[in-house]
Amino acid sequence: MKTILFCSIALLQLAPIALQAQSSANPPDLTGVWGVYRGGRGADPKLAPPPPSPLVLKPEYAKPYEARRALEAESNKRGEQLATTGAQCIPYGVPTMMSVAIYPVEFIQTPKQVTIISEAFSEVRRVYMGVPQAKLEDVAPGYYGRSVGRWDGDTLVVDTIGLKPSIGGYRGMPHSPEMRITERIRLVAPDYLHDQITIDDPVVLEKPVTYTLAYKRMPNYEMVEFVCDNNREYVDEKGVVRLQVHDK
Amino acid sequence: MFDMTKKMTLVGTVTTFEWTNPHSYIEIDVPDEQGAIKHWSIEMGSPSILQQSGWKFSSLKKGDKTTLIISPLKNGKPGGFLNTATLPDGRVLGNGPGQNPQ
Repeated sequence: MKTILFCSIALLQLAPIALQAQSSANPPDLTGVWGVYRGGRGADPKLAPPPPSPLVLKPEYAKPYEARRALEAESNKRGEQLATTGAQCIPYGVPTMMSVAIYPVEFIQTPKQVTIISEAFSEVRRVYMGVPQAKLEDVAPGYYGRSVGRWDGDTLVVDTIGLKPSIGGYRGMPHSPEMRITERIRLVAPDYLHDQITIDDPVVLEKPVTYTLAYKRMPNYEMVEFVCDNNREYVDEKGVVRLQVHDK
Repeated sequence: MFDMTKKMTLVGTVTTFEWTNPHSYIEIDVPDEQGAIKHWSIEMGSPSILQQSGWKFSSLKKGDKTTLIISPLKNGKPGGFLNTATLPDGRVLGNGPGQNPQ
């Protein structure tokens, strides 16, 4: 009896691991082009992105952040856009590139690497699968950092470090070199994908912030090239974006 | 930059159609009532955004007569943001379903 009980408990403990292993050995195929899905009225709540958690910055960062947001709002009200990196044709980097206006993203999935390409600015991320993350001090700060991935059942979990502080963060939040981004990417329905993004930054944030991007598959869509070679917008001495017209 | 509350109509001749990023542009010569030509630069969305509302790289070419409805620059310079364009074949195209990358 004791043996049977022991075996049953052992099996119960093993079952989730076995299921996970089976599922991870046959992960869903995310390959394809994905367009932004915002849901909207009448949308299935399971397909639309859930609301984000609050963004809570440490007081010393919250004050200048709020001041900048107020300045932007005031400037937008006047119809003047304050300079952004995007207006200067500088790529967005991670995580902003995952959602730029209505530009799609393309996933190319292989067992060892998941490559994600954003149509806006043709940005490329490489997620190395099943390898350990590097030490922060060994990753040169950049736009895409270093991303490693693993399958947690049907969910692709991506860990990213090494993002340079000068690139824009979620909702324009500041961030330190210690920012770490964890993404949980999964199909919520055959043609709908969610990317749940959690940003942790012990220097800047009081607590991690989580938001979710939703995508819908765009079958047969061919990605359009995007080389920023005709930027006529420039930033004037007041930091406002202007258009250079071609006077005759 | 643009006064989106205003709409004005430009009737003229295309000098170049630039199918480029981060924005496409229509360069157009517009004669006034006395026949004097004024040149305008009209900003559009990017090719990716524009193709979603029916545009192609070849939708306009040098010499085409077109009518544009635009929102002008606030600073009074001869530039604007496209609202709609009437192509030589009569089709009226908008400026893409979404926003620009900035």
